[in-house]
Amino acid sequence: MTRREWLAMIAATPLLKAAGAPDAPASPVAIAKCASYDEDLAAKLGTLFTQLGGLEKLVGNKTVTVKVNMTGPPSNRVQGRAPAITHYTHPKLLGAAAFLMSRAGAKRIRFVESAWATAGPLEDVMLDSGWNVRSLKASAPNVLFENTNARGAFNGYARFPVPGSAYMYPGYDLNRAYEETDVFVSMAKLKNHATCGLTLSLKNCFGTLPASIYGDDAGVDEPNEKPTSGRGAVGHDGKRQPSKSAPQELHFGASHDPGYRVPHIVADLAAARPIHLAIIDGVETIAGGEGPWIRGVRMVSPGVLVAGMNPVCTDAVAAAVMGYNPRAQRGAAPFETCDNILTLAEAHGVGTTDLKRIEVRGVPIEQALFRFGA
Amino acid sequence: MPARALPLFLSLLPLLHAAIPQPADWVPARWTYSDPHSLDLLQNSPVNCLLLTTYPAALVSAAAARNLATLAVLTPGEDTVAAARRALAANVTGIVLEGDFAEGAAASVREAVRGAPVIELTARNRMPLGSGAPVIGTYQGVWPGIPAQADAVVKAGPTSSVWIDTNTGFIRAVRAWGGAALWIANRPPAHTIITAERYQQVIADAEASGGRWVLALDSDFTARLGTREARALADWNKINAVLAFYENHPEWRRMTEAGRLALVQDPAKGGLLSGGILDMIAVKHTPVRPVPRQHLTPDALRGATMAVDLDADALTAEQKEVLRNFARGGGTLLTGPPGWKDQAPRGESITLDQKELERLNDIWHDVNSMVGRANLGVRLFNVSSMLSNAIASADGKTEIVHLVNYSDYPVEDVTLQFLGTFQHATLLSPDGAAKPLEIYKVDEETRGVDIAKVAVCATIKLEQ
Repeated sequence: MTRREWLAMIAATPLLKAAGAPDAPASPVAIAKCASYDEDLAAKLGTLFTQLGGLEKLVGNKTVTVKVNMTGPPSNRVQGRAPAITHYTHPKLLGAAAFLMSRAGAKRIRFVESAWATAGPLEDVMLDSGWNVRSLKASAPNVLFENTNARGAFNGYARFPVPGSAYMYPGYDLNRAYEETDVFVSMAKLKNHATCGLTLSLKNCFGTLPASIYGDDAGVDEPNEKPTSGRGAVGHDGKRQPSKSAPQELHFGASHDPGYRVPHIVADLAAARPIHLAIIDGVETIAGGEGPWIRGVRMVSPGVLVAGMNPVCTDAVAAAVMGYNPRAQRGAAPFETCDNILTLAEAHGVGTTDLKRIEVRGVPIEQALFRFGA
Repeated sequence: MPARALPLFLSLLPLLHAAIPQPADWVPARWTYSDPHSLDLLQNSPVNCLLLTTYPAALVSAAAARNLATLAVLTPGEDTVAAARRALAANVTGIVLEGDFAEGAAASVREAVRGAPVIELTARNRMPLGSGAPVIGTYQGVWPGIPAQADAVVKAGPTSSVWIDTNTGFIRAVRAWGGAALWIANRPPAHTIITAERYQQVIADAEASGGRWVLALDSDFTARLGTREARALADWNKINAVLAFYENHPEWRRMTEAGRLALVQDPAKGGLLSGGILDMIAVKHTPVRPVPRQHLTPDALRGATMAVDLDADALTAEQKEVLRNFARGGGTLLTGPPGWKDQAPRGESITLDQKELERLNDIWHDVNSMVGRANLGVRLFNVSSMLSNAIASADGKTEIVHLVNYSDYPVEDVTLQFLGTFQHATLLSPDGAAKPLEIYKVDEETRGVDIAKVAVCATIKLEQ
């Protein structure tokens, strides 16, 4: 397919059958070219935020919680390379974002992730990833870290009911960092996902689920505050329910297909815990999967940053940048074996996937295009 | 030489070789070149001991002139005593018996060569541990490195951490038994392209634990180096730089393991294996102090806060009391499951089979849970492709943390957090530059330093 044919195709997609809600909100998305993490990331991000209308109104005098992407153990690497240039969001991007948020008046910035198979301090996982935690702390006056894989520093969990008709669970119990915040940011990586087709700002939030409740070794009745496993049995495979302290699966046993389950859970989460700002790191990343445990992943350098105030719109634009139709149905790339998270979230009313309704600011999609399927 | 002159000659051998370093200080290499000019390659090398399978007079005398020890390598299957005599008649410094000889063969050779050094390179389970020999060694070793993922499973769920093949656990367990120099004399794997970095890794793997790998180049490298190919020479220089890095610090060999976790194990059993509990703990970068069961005293546990007793049934009543007192004094003690026995190597196998690994897992999970995130002297971050070894001077005023990187890439942004009142931290590396490191406070008990980059190996020196 030529570039022109591809643009014609994505322009025509709104005419195709879509699962989405026709009046789901639309919001501008900004794209910047960024060839290297050695560029002035604060300037690049600052331009994106300005193109989106500025950060001050969003974060001024607010607590901001930023969910980063640190999937898998930091020791598991693509060809031995640092995770930040393959499958983790890059710490320099975190530092730049914290600096800009602080400058825009944020009173507190908390970086969060449910780190793989541990409830230990997130700082330790960051250090193990080769991140300079001291530099990160110094990027703004009040930077905090929370491993949300268990309840952590909080007394209990926060419950997030899914508004309207939930797909999988009526609600989700998460670490309270996701509740005790004014602004929630998903800082994701631009990459594929073996189960969900894409890992963008929506899928990134699957990692908000604490393994203490949704992990393979979660307690049956109460959370296991020392989880040591992933979320395969509950989230991916539906082999067991989460701890009984949390809302239980609505139709337990109905599906054991990860390609159905995970996208629906992610769409539920996007409705239950709204994302106010999506930032997608596509400077250096991997294609073909979400981490080194996927056979055949390859390192790529799309050299782009994408940001938007609506995660569905942002992911739709990011998917287009990756060379995919954001409204593709199951069976078409990149959703060959799964349902489309974006259209599922759209159907929840989170945002539109209709590129015709999304204003792209900064670099046009055509100029940022980097085909992940190539 | 008349037969009656031989004994006199032999008795003078040590004097003839007076300028040659003592066996414990030998830095050995298998030398397959016969041309005396090949020794020019050693001009800037710490190698000072050549293992020869043939010993032409010109090479042997040229080596002696350069104060290089020469050792004739004898293998089973020949008249060993006669072969040793022939070798000494060719003026070599001593004998290496490589392989598993019949009982008493080594003693017969020693008797025949009267005072000339005889070094045995045996199977691990036949090593004369605690014998007082200045050098003990084995021909068995794993080839250190990160094993290729032959069967990477495709699934959308992350797997566990990286495993590193290493001889360090074995070396540390054996060295804990006594002060002998330990040679590990395995050869490069056949049909494998071995880069200079891999040679540097295998050297560092042994040296960082206080052992010495008997340098052995693959045939391709040997041929290219023999013709002085530029790239081979450059690689040779890199290899020697790593050797020199460790050999220029003989004080490191006199230091003792600094970990606050003590592993009580019989070096003659599980300690002889690679991939056992000591290597499992090492992969987690928990500083651990191997304590030979035979040396289990209150002193051996001094400073330790946790101890693992692998084979409780093997302990004497007195030794059991030492551990009980350790626990009474506030130490955390983990004992292997009842009936659990530490296994020694069987036959030619020096690693654990699947069944043994599963058996060891029971203990490993308990050890892992016990240690958790505790800082048992030092904690390292972003070192998944590395192994480390923390050792300390007798007075406790200096601590050394060796790092060996087994990946194909330099590792950037390593963090070391340490306990203690060290005021100075210096990064040492084979390129010769000593770089002061900024020490920062992590919490009330812990300090940290950041290391920008580690190529194949580096050492952090902490001083009060």
